[in-house]
Amino acid sequence: MDTFVELSAELTGFSAEELRSTGLVEQYAELARNATDAELIQLWYTGVWRGVVPSSRAYAEGLAWKAVGVPAPGTAGPGFGSWERRPGRSTP
Amino acid sequence: MRAVVVGAGFAGSLIAKVLGDNGFQVLVLEAGGETEHDEAVRRFQTALVKSPLAPYRTTVAAPSGDYLVNTGPFAYAAPYLRMNGGTGTVWTGITPRMHPEDFRTADLGRGRNWPIEYADLEPYYRAAEWEIGVSADADEQRQHVPVADGYAYPMHALPRTYLDHVVASVVDGRSIDGHELLVTGTPQARNGMPAGGYRLDGHLCSGHASCVPVCPENAKYTPRRTQQRWSRHVELRTRCVVNRVSADESGRVTKVGYQRYADDTTGRHTRHEAEADVVVLAAHAVENAKLLLMSGLANSSDQVGRNLMDHPALLTWALMPQPIGPFRGPGSTTSIEAFRAGPERRGRAPFRIEIGNWGWGWSAGSPDSDTAELVAAGLRGNALRKAVAERVGRQFTLQFEIEQEADPANRVTLADDRDALGNPRPSIHYGLSDYVKDGLLAAKRVSDRLFEMLKAEDYTSYKPDEERYFEHNGEPLRFWSAGHAGGTHVMGTRPRTSVVDQWQRCWDHPNLYAVGCGSMPSMGTSNPSLTMAALALRTADHLVSRAR
Repeated sequence: MDTFVELSAELTGFSAEELRSTGLVEQYAELARNATDAELIQLWYTGVWRGVVPSSRAYAEGLAWKAVGVPAPGTAGPGFGSWERRPGRSTP
Repeated sequence: MRAVVVGAGFAGSLIAKVLGDNGFQVLVLEAGGETEHDEAVRRFQTALVKSPLAPYRTTVAAPSGDYLVNTGPFAYAAPYLRMNGGTGTVWTGITPRMHPEDFRTADLGRGRNWPIEYADLEPYYRAAEWEIGVSADADEQRQHVPVADGYAYPMHALPRTYLDHVVASVVDGRSIDGHELLVTGTPQARNGMPAGGYRLDGHLCSGHASCVPVCPENAKYTPRRTQQRWSRHVELRTRCVVNRVSADESGRVTKVGYQRYADDTTGRHTRHEAEADVVVLAAHAVENAKLLLMSGLANSSDQVGRNLMDHPALLTWALMPQPIGPFRGPGSTTSIEAFRAGPERRGRAPFRIEIGNWGWGWSAGSPDSDTAELVAAGLRGNALRKAVAERVGRQFTLQFEIEQEADPANRVTLADDRDALGNPRPSIHYGLSDYVKDGLLAAKRVSDRLFEMLKAEDYTSYKPDEERYFEHNGEPLRFWSAGHAGGTHVMGTRPRTSVVDQWQRCWDHPNLYAVGCGSMPSMGTSNPSLTMAALALRTADHLVSRAR
C-alpha cells in the first residue's frame, strides 16, 4: 500500500497525507493495479476510471478540484456570498 | 369545475395551484415518474458526463427530449425532462424579464409580435417573482427594463462573483459600437437575503456550483416547491401519458385519454379517460404540439408545431490575466444588457451576454479536459498540480444568448416512428436563418473586443468536426442550445394565423388551453421561464374569473 501511495504522490504532486485523507487509497490501489501512469493520474485528478466514476467520493475528492482550491460542484457549499471574494492560492 | 392539467412542470404546477385555491377540482396528469432528491444528487456525482438530464430517472414509456427524430439541417439540441417537476427541475434558475421591445419583434426586428405588451405582463412578472422567489434589485433592473414604482423583489440581489467585479472594473462605462457597457446583476430564482416580508422557502444558496442540473440544498426554485403549496383540491397522478384530447362537434373539449404504466422499464400500460370542463396542456413546447397534432385539434391555422425556437448560444472562452476563482457559486450572476435592444435588431438578431463563472465546464469540459491535456503533454507531480491550478483558476466563459425569430419552417411534426407506448415520436426540422447567423457573428465580434479590453487570452475555437459547427461569411462558428424550446402553439391576434389567443386559449376550442413557452411569439434574449410563469399566472387569473 505504501508503494502505491508513494507512486501516486510522485505522479500527482499531492502528498501521501493529502492522498490518504481522501479515503480512497485502498479502493484505488485495487482498481488501478494494472494502470498506466496517465490512467492513475486521471483517476486521482478526475475520479474517472476507464470511463466510469466508481463512487460519489471519487468525484468529490478529485484532485483537479483541490488543485484549483474549490469543492467539486454539487458536493459542498463554500458559503453564501463566498464567491465574491478574491480566490485564495491553493498550490503548495 | 373540473380541470385537467397535462404536465406537472413549471406552467402546469403554477396553474394547478391557482385553480385549486379557487374551487376547481384539478387533476394533474404527469407523463414521467419521480426521482428522489438525494438520488438525483448521487446520480449527478457519479455521472461520467454531467449532462442536464443525467441525475434524473426517466422511463421507457415517457422518453425525454432524447427521443426526437431530427431531420436537419441542425439537430434540435434543447433537452427537456418528462418527470414530475419537468424541465424546471433542471433549469439554471436565471430569471430576467423580457425587454419591452421583445413584444414587438415583427415591427422592430424579425418574426412575430405579441398580442400583448410588456405593460400587460408587468403585474404578472411581479406575481411570478414572488411565487418563484427571485433575488434581484429593482433599481438595478430599472436600468434596462421598466419595473413598477415602489416594487421590491422578494430577496435582495445575490452577491456577484469575483469574476464579475473584475470584468466590471474594466468594461463599465466603456463602449463597443456605440453601446455603453455595464455589468448588471441578473435576477435569480435562488435563495438570497429576504426582503419585503418574504419568507425564505428552503436554504440560503451556499454556492454548490451545480444549479444545472441539481441544487443539492434546494436553494433553487423548482416546480416541486409550488406543488407543496397545492391545496387538497389538486390531485397529481404520475406515470400517466396523455395521448388523446377529444372534442365534441361544437369544438368543446370533453375528455382526455391517457396511458398509465407502473413499470418504468417497459411500455406495458393500461388505458384511461378523464372528463373535464377545462383542459390545460402544459407538457412542454414539443410535447404540447405533439399532443395537439395527435388529437387533430387546434390547428385550423396550420401553425401547430411551427415557429419552433430556441436560444442558440455562442460560447467564447478565455483566461484572465489573474486567478478569478471559477466554479464557486452560481453559474452566472451578471450580464451585459447593451445588445438586447436597439436599431441593430432590424438587421441581425440581438443578444444578451452572460458572464459565465464555471470556467470552461460547458464549452470545453474543464477541468477534466485540462488535466488530460496537461498529462498528455508529459506533466507530472508538482508541475502538473501547479499547471492545473494556473489553467483552471483563470478560466471564464462568455455565453451569448441569441434571439431566434419565429420561422414557420422550423417545426415539430409526427414521425412515422413510434415510442414504446405506440405514440409517434416528434420529428423536428430545425435550422438557423441568416438573421440568427448574423447575430452569432456580431456576438463573436463583441466577444473579441471584450477579451481585448480584459487582456484575456482567447482559447475559443470551433472545429468542423464538432456538433452544430458552420461557417458564415467565411468565418467558423458554432452554437450550443440554451434549452429554451418555444413557439409551437404560437399566440396571436387572429385565429387564421395563430394557435392560441392572448389567454393561451386555443382559438378553435373554447375550453382548451395550451400554455408554456410554446405560446411565445418571440423569446427575445431572456431565459424564458419567468415569462412562462407570468403568462401562466395570467391565464390562471383568466380561468378563475371566467368560472365566476
